[in-house]
Amino acid sequence: MKRFIFLPFIIYSLLNAVPVLAAKLELVSPVLEIGVGQEFQVDLMLDTEGQDINAVEGKAVFPRNLVELKAIYTGNSIINFWIEQPAQKNSEINFSGVIPGGFSGVLGPYWKGYRPGKIFSLIFAAKKEGSGVIEIRDTKVLLNDGKGTLAEVKISNFAYSAEAPLSGAKAGQFSIKDIDPPELFTPEIARDPNIFDGKWFLVFAAQDKVSGIDHYEALETWGREPDKNKWHVVESPLVLKDQSRASYIFVKATDKAGNKRIVVVMPEFKPWYKKPIVDMIIGLIGLVVLLLVVKWLWKKLKYKWPLI
Amino acid sequence: MSLKFQYFLIFFIFAIFSVYNTVLADSGGVSLTVTVSEAAVCGNSAVETGEQCDGSDLGGATCVSRGYTSGSLSCNSNCTFNVSSCTSAAPSTPSSGGGGGGGGGGGAAIISAPSTAVVFSGRAYPKSTVTLLKDAQIAASTIAGPDSNFQITLSNLSAGNYIFSIYGEDKDGIRSSLFTFSVSVTSGVTTNVGGIFIAPTIAVDKSEVKKGDNVAIFGQAASLADVVISVNSDEEFFGKTVADKNGIYLYNFDTSLVDYGSHTTKSKAAIGNQLISSWSNLINFKVGTKNVLAPKSIKKVLKGDVNNEGRVNLIDFSIVAYWYKRPSPPAKVDLNGDGKVDLIDFSIMAYYWTG
Repeated sequence: MKRFIFLPFIIYSLLNAVPVLAAKLELVSPVLEIGVGQEFQVDLMLDTEGQDINAVEGKAVFPRNLVELKAIYTGNSIINFWIEQPAQKNSEINFSGVIPGGFSGVLGPYWKGYRPGKIFSLIFAAKKEGSGVIEIRDTKVLLNDGKGTLAEVKISNFAYSAEAPLSGAKAGQFSIKDIDPPELFTPEIARDPNIFDGKWFLVFAAQDKVSGIDHYEALETWGREPDKNKWHVVESPLVLKDQSRASYIFVKATDKAGNKRIVVVMPEFKPWYKKPIVDMIIGLIGLVVLLLVVKWLWKKLKYKWPLI
Repeated sequence: MSLKFQYFLIFFIFAIFSVYNTVLADSGGVSLTVTVSEAAVCGNSAVETGEQCDGSDLGGATCVSRGYTSGSLSCNSNCTFNVSSCTSAAPSTPSSGGGGGGGGGGGAAIISAPSTAVVFSGRAYPKSTVTLLKDAQIAASTIAGPDSNFQITLSNLSAGNYIFSIYGEDKDGIRSSLFTFSVSVTSGVTTNVGGIFIAPTIAVDKSEVKKGDNVAIFGQAASLADVVISVNSDEEFFGKTVADKNGIYLYNFDTSLVDYGSHTTKSKAAIGNQLISSWSNLINFKVGTKNVLAPKSIKKVLKGDVNNEGRVNLIDFSIVAYWYKRPSPPAKVDLNGDGKVDLIDFSIMAYYWTG
């Protein structure tokens, strides 16, 4: 009977236990054995645990003495727009991005419920034998609630142990098979007093579902075809050289496998009476007419009042 | 009471608790169905929808059944019939498409390569505009039928994970909240996303209501849907009304039930207690000492619409991104007014996104 006395407490605590929702940032790898010299993939995954998340930032930290970072792939990422594209800085990879509308998990036809979404993939090569940990630090995961509320986050790092070089297929180098160009995208021209002194600028963002976007190039030309020698590596937003918007603007997105997608923004075709040259001619004619009128008035007044 | 019974009781409570948690996890709102329909694959020696034949599989057809008198029917590499070895006169009434006399075969529409596509279907409001965003940028739009149903097909996609968002725009141009979901798209098949139920639009007739007077809460939902209205005060009040065949709903809320001050309201639609939409946008109104009509303008200023074009999209993102971690950002881009542009400002913008 004495034991039974605890039962009401157990029942009370169970019924009042509120499930603590915490999003999970997890570094996972499909590789089980790692040998020196071997390249291996580590994915940063976001498991929302039923929450609606729309912004993520943080850094991945790796032991530079043990592993070398070979590549960063953002293909198939749940992040639509990067504020800070994942990039290596010493032994860190800083990242920051948003998911407009929020993310609760990936739905699919072959499973029930939601699956975690990938943020990016890191490709490392083990430099020498030993144990190491690839960590996630300084994270911020925000709820899609219109206020930017911080979500609870659980972190799961990736611990590994590199051993003597593996033989055969296991020791292979990592390669990504990407034959698809980046998806079709639509650059937009805008201007705003808050940036670039109100000048016209171009914004663009392409998606690539396999290796991710590597870089963009652009060129402005009066011709309808891009000159292959005039491409410049650019970033969005891009201030337009031709502020009259009379040029064709070509934007080329290249993925990390070298596949390219080129899109064109057509020049703004103004009606003839709105073109600057027409404005100038009308202005000149106006000036001439004005001068003639002044001259005529001068002559007329001179005859009336010869003393002027 | 025996010890065995106590163990059983604890086990029983644990079981109930587990079930309770499972239900919570699944009750997040709209229930989407994601299925695939395999596209016809020309070359797999099996006749599928859209193919006349495939390899040696002629689907039981012969030269005679095609209108010839004799000969040997075969299959072209694009899964159309090859009648070049069929003899006698050309058929008087070819069963499919044009096609010339002796050779070549018919011109039926054939899916010769598997396409990767997604078909979205669900309910919006009668004759409303439905807009689909793919990875946060506008990809397509359509007009829902008089029964509120809509369908949008996106093709030529790559395999991978996509973030799709859908919103509706009612007869007054008011937009619904964004309904966002991520779907894994498989190469060579058509993925069907069904059960989408767009939240109602919502508006109020007064921005300030004299306490004791009614405030009209109205908008558009699916045709003949049950609409639940929530008014959030210290206590949450619920009301219910039914949308008419055009999806229009109206609910008069008696403000004598709530205190003076600011309040919010939202709505959601349901059909037959089975299909339930997510909540609409939140709308504010104030209970005070006088009645002030709400402005008629539909071009409400959205938080995050930095360039005031009525949308929150990549342009606004780019303007705010320009000021990321820069000193003294303009008030317009500092969405939470804390004197800096950081992740919180982007999160606020992402919430109000329209594409």
